[in-house]
Amino acid sequence: MSHIHLPDGILPVWLWASGFIVAILVGTILLRLTKKEKLTRRLPLIGMMAAVMVLGASVEIVPIAYHVNLTVISGILLGPSLIFLATFVVNVILALFGHGGITVIGLNTLTLSIEGVLGYFLFRLFWKVLKRLTPATFLATFIALLFSTLAMIGVISLGTSHYEKLIHQEGKGIFEFHFSKGKEDHHPGEAAEEKVNLRRFIAIVLPLGFIGWMLEGVITALICRYIYRLRPDLLHLEKETL
Amino acid sequence: MIQLSYLDYIAAEGKSFLHRLSPKLKIIGMVFVLLAIVTLRNLPGFLLLYGILLALFSLSRIPIKIFSLTFYPLIFAILFIFISGFQIHFILLIFLKVLCGSTGVVLLLATTPYPSIFSVLGRVLPSTFVTALFLTYRSIFILLNIFEETQHALYLRGGFQWRHPWRSLINISNAFGHLIIKGIDASEKMYESMVFRGFQNKIYYRGE
Repeated sequence: MSHIHLPDGILPVWLWASGFIVAILVGTILLRLTKKEKLTRRLPLIGMMAAVMVLGASVEIVPIAYHVNLTVISGILLGPSLIFLATFVVNVILALFGHGGITVIGLNTLTLSIEGVLGYFLFRLFWKVLKRLTPATFLATFIALLFSTLAMIGVISLGTSHYEKLIHQEGKGIFEFHFSKGKEDHHPGEAAEEKVNLRRFIAIVLPLGFIGWMLEGVITALICRYIYRLRPDLLHLEKETL
Repeated sequence: MIQLSYLDYIAAEGKSFLHRLSPKLKIIGMVFVLLAIVTLRNLPGFLLLYGILLALFSLSRIPIKIFSLTFYPLIFAILFIFISGFQIHFILLIFLKVLCGSTGVVLLLATTPYPSIFSVLGRVLPSTFVTALFLTYRSIFILLNIFEETQHALYLRGGFQWRHPWRSLINISNAFGHLIIKGIDASEKMYESMVFRGFQNKIYYRGE
């Protein structure tokens, strides 16, 4: 729910192109800041965690069109800079399977990496404050997902005027094909109904998202607890009680 | 995702003209499909594009089972139609954009082995990124094997039951945790073997 499953051609060109530019800029800066040896050494791990996220994304909960992202747990394990590269890779792979368009890869990377980066910092913060793993992971996941969903809604709302154009352009386009139905067939009252309805979209996305955030929060907390029992070194935490 | 290995098999073993076409040309073709999706604004144009893609799909003799993959993104497109106020024209436009994009992508993947795709991408994208992409693709197959084993073990021991949702959720989460730990172990072994073979930040493909 938190990232954009829009097909290609829905968002305006300036929006998705800006998404690509910002994502590439952020990625380049983060890669430059990461030591080359560390990056080379951790490439298989990045690949493996990206594969975990891709597998998580393939398990669809059909009634609410939700799937677990596992971005927060990947962020906790990889750290804030490497999770960005991992989410970029995940979005490319997912786009190759039609899971979100190719042109929205940049925007998807930005929204999804908000989850990973924010999840990482919130997890550290809540761990320091609460000293309890399960609530710290749950809260970090829930809040990170909430913010990335809000970012996704923000991105979609930026393209409102473009959607209006798409709705009102029957018969127009690069190839001037026309339907038998003409513009004069529209009644004045229809104009209001034809407007882009973002409120309805938000009213559907937020409640469904809430179920998803709860579900993913619980799953991530349980995964984190499992990892802590078997390989606590992976979480880089001091020895504290659960 | 389970069909990934089958898709890979078809891409490597297929004998149609599209399978024999250069990967570079197919990727350029996919870029044109994307350009059309972004620029076209009317239904007849999209119907024409979709018709061409369907014709190519049929000519390349890809099994019909794979065709079902192209409908998967429609699940997400349904959410987006709520924005439009249910305008039929807009809904059809979105659905056709989705179908054209997914059909083009599945066509590319089902006729081109993935090392060939990554080899072409490696010429335009940074090597670190393409290596990460390649390792992710490879890791998906490793994890799928672990996932299937874990899934069988869960089912055989009654680990997933609708009557006990909380216990099932714990077991599913533990399975994901198991997958992550096994994956991290496998990534360490993978790095050791890559270094042993002379890996230095870049994977070389056949012909390079």
